Amino acid sequence: MAGNVLAVAGLHKSFGGLKVIDDVSFGVERGSRTALIGPNGAGKTTIFNLLTGVYPVDAGTVVLAGSDITDIPSKDRVIHGMSRSFQNIRLMPHLSTVENVMLGQHARAHSLGNLLFPLGLISRNKWRAEAEAALENARLGTYPGEVVANLPYGVQKRIEVVRAMVSQPELLLLDEPAAGLNDVETRQLQELLEKVSESGVTILVVEHDMHFVRNLCDHVVVLNFGRKIFEGSPEEVHRSPVVLEAYLGTEESAPGEGAANAS
Amino acid sequence: MSGYIEAQLIILCLSVIYAYAIFLPAASGQLNLGAAGFITLGAYTSGWLNASDGLGLPMALGIVLSMLFVGAIGFAISLPILRTRGVYMVLATFAFAEVVSGIAINMEFLGGAAGMPVDAHAPVEIVVAVAIAVVLFCFYFMSTRLGLALRSIHDDESVALLFGVNVRTARVVAFTVGGMLAGLGGAIYGHHYNYVEAQTFNVLLSIYILLYVLLGGTQTAWGPLVGAAFFTVLPEIFRQLAISMGSDWLADSRFIFFGMFIVLMMVVRPEGVVTRTMQDRCAGYLSGRRARAAAAGE
Amino acid sequence: MLLLQQLINGLMLGGLYVMVAVAFTLIIGMLNFLNFTIPALFMFAAMMMWATMTGNLPFGNDFLFAIFGEHNIWIAGAIVSIVSICLVSLIIERFTYRYMKAKYGDATEHALPLVSSLGFLIIFEHLVIGQWGSDPLQIESPFGDATFTIGTLIFSYPQVISLALSLAIVFLLSHVIRHTKLGRALRSIAERPDTATLMGVDVLRIVPVVYVITGLLCAISGILFTINYTSIDAYIGDTVATVAIAGMVLGGLGNVWGAVVGGLFVGILEVFSIYIVGADFVKVPIWGLLLLILVFKPTGLFGHTAIGKGKF
Repeated sequence: MAGNVLAVAGLHKSFGGLKVIDDVSFGVERGSRTALIGPNGAGKTTIFNLLTGVYPVDAGTVVLAGSDITDIPSKDRVIHGMSRSFQNIRLMPHLSTVENVMLGQHARAHSLGNLLFPLGLISRNKWRAEAEAALENARLGTYPGEVVANLPYGVQKRIEVVRAMVSQPELLLLDEPAAGLNDVETRQLQELLEKVSESGVTILVVEHDMHFVRNLCDHVVVLNFGRKIFEGSPEEVHRSPVVLEAYLGTEESAPGEGAANAS
Repeated sequence: MSGYIEAQLIILCLSVIYAYAIFLPAASGQLNLGAAGFITLGAYTSGWLNASDGLGLPMALGIVLSMLFVGAIGFAISLPILRTRGVYMVLATFAFAEVVSGIAINMEFLGGAAGMPVDAHAPVEIVVAVAIAVVLFCFYFMSTRLGLALRSIHDDESVALLFGVNVRTARVVAFTVGGMLAGLGGAIYGHHYNYVEAQTFNVLLSIYILLYVLLGGTQTAWGPLVGAAFFTVLPEIFRQLAISMGSDWLADSRFIFFGMFIVLMMVVRPEGVVTRTMQDRCAGYLSGRRARAAAAGE
Repeated sequence: MLLLQQLINGLMLGGLYVMVAVAFTLIIGMLNFLNFTIPALFMFAAMMMWATMTGNLPFGNDFLFAIFGEHNIWIAGAIVSIVSICLVSLIIERFTYRYMKAKYGDATEHALPLVSSLGFLIIFEHLVIGQWGSDPLQIESPFGDATFTIGTLIFSYPQVISLALSLAIVFLLSHVIRHTKLGRALRSIAERPDTATLMGVDVLRIVPVVYVITGLLCAISGILFTINYTSIDAYIGDTVATVAIAGMVLGGLGNVWGAVVGGLFVGILEVFSIYIVGADFVKVPIWGLLLLILVFKPTGLFGHTAIGKGKF
């Protein structure tokens, strides 16, 4: 047991009176590959946005690597060791691939000397070398002279992961990484994420694709209607009647029944 | 150098300086339609610092001090102005320029509406040297991590924020340094022509400068250089050609073609003449040729 | 009494600014960009009016004099002016709004139509300068100095008629936006162009309508300006538009009735400041005030919400 990298306790969030997240607590063990799953509208993305500070929390705490980051502005969370990829790819369209990756280094390089170092003029510098090495390590090229938005979708997804990794996070948050990928691209992404995990970085992933989750993750947290309804290994989740009902019963059962399952 | 070429060179150099001043905020996605305001400030301040009935400082010191002064003003107004976005920022910077021009015209000790003579003369060599220095500085500035951060803000502010970019500070720095450069341009203008008149720095000037930048392209530091050069030199060449062909009508209509060119540009290449991909490809081509040449030499 | 007379003169001048301010505010509210072709359209309308009335149209306008006669030639001027502005508006629409989207969206995307409209401003100003020069041009007012008096206050008929006309036009416009099918389509585009398309609004057919409406506002205002002040030049559009922009900001961007009040206000202010302190001095407090409004109360004096929401 290496303890928790991320500890979420008693998280609440409402939008205009609608309870979206209702008393959610869970921990992410250091070095684990944890998945956050649940049917549509279960509150997965909201949890992500609360963790990254896009929305303020109504109540509860978020502790990352021993420090309470609940009220820390989102731009400072990366310094505390949190980095993320996006569900819809959000690479910078007018930056080259290497520059996109170098943006990920920003939180480690915000001293005045680093900010004023001419990265672009001196082509052999440690930052660029590091970014290129990170891309190569992920079996990606530097794609010079290419518009990032024109690269294949799977490549863009992996560049996003590389960009998040060069900030040297303790916890990597992935928002539906496998969405929209074909089988080959999914396998390539999975390889990359396994490599990331082997390097000691903890992974927390929100995902629809249960197949992908079972292949990659060792721990699963299941949400439904803003509450945590189950937590365990992928096999346990697979066998759990509560989870099964949540996934199958969403169409028939009323929200009240779903919430009742949580207790 | 003939007087005509020299006059054109001066116009080109000043346009380049102004263009870079507006380029820095534009590179981070902020449209500044107040260039004329900063130029007015720079021109009058350095002129007054240098004048015998002002402070009587040497020209170089006056220019540096006026840059600092304009930078301070830029910093002060950047804090409120950068709260605004899009159309609001265009209008706010425009309003700023109008305020400055209104103040300059009403200051009796600055000559009022009649304008102010400036004592020390900056010869063409100084103008060119300053323009080159500004270009080099901006290339350096955009190549730094700060420049990278500015370009990221231009593309996606919230993602830049999540990677730890201090968006507000970066935008303030870009706006302030841009203001300083415009002030420098104004100071150089005053010292070269030895006369400043607030009416010459009008909305139209701000508009033209913004056009140079947006048409040149905001993605790389080449953009404003290409934009300013293209749009000051080309109409002039066109005019000379038309005159040599004996058509005054064609010579006078160069601005109509300029306008049409702008409209067409936005249709076929809205991102401006120079893009980042284009720069990469050119660099790749050059380094490839160098590599081939080295291979051939072995 | 002199002050009251100045107030009336200011209101009359403001009436002309109102239509230009409304034109700006419509484009900003609907399409979210600052349309710099508006000064060009205003100037072009005024110029066409002048050219028709003084027989300076490039293709010759003797036949217009033959039809309308010396005395009613101003009617011909208005017709020529309005027709040409409508055509020009459609051409401009074709090259500005349609190409609004950058290939890869970013923060300066809204600059594209702004830049195209600046291109058109340059084209039109230099077309006019090339044809008729940049010196001030005069017409003889078709109505002479027809005035009536109330007490000691002097009202000129054309001025009163133009103020009434401009308010009537804005009222009609606001009615159309609020209560007709066209208005509903316009509002839905203003709120969200993408959703409007999904809801079956043909954006590419509605947007030209917006351009023609703004063109008409500029044209009518340009025509009335020419008749009332009888002296114009190639830069008249810039001068008027600068003041009208001030009026628009005062009323809040995208707010039609705000633009009306703002336009009238800046008209009155201009007349008073010329009367009391001189035109140059008033620039500082006015634009300083606008700067403050833009920064601290961007919704204008009447406190509407952001662009595209509840502004009519």
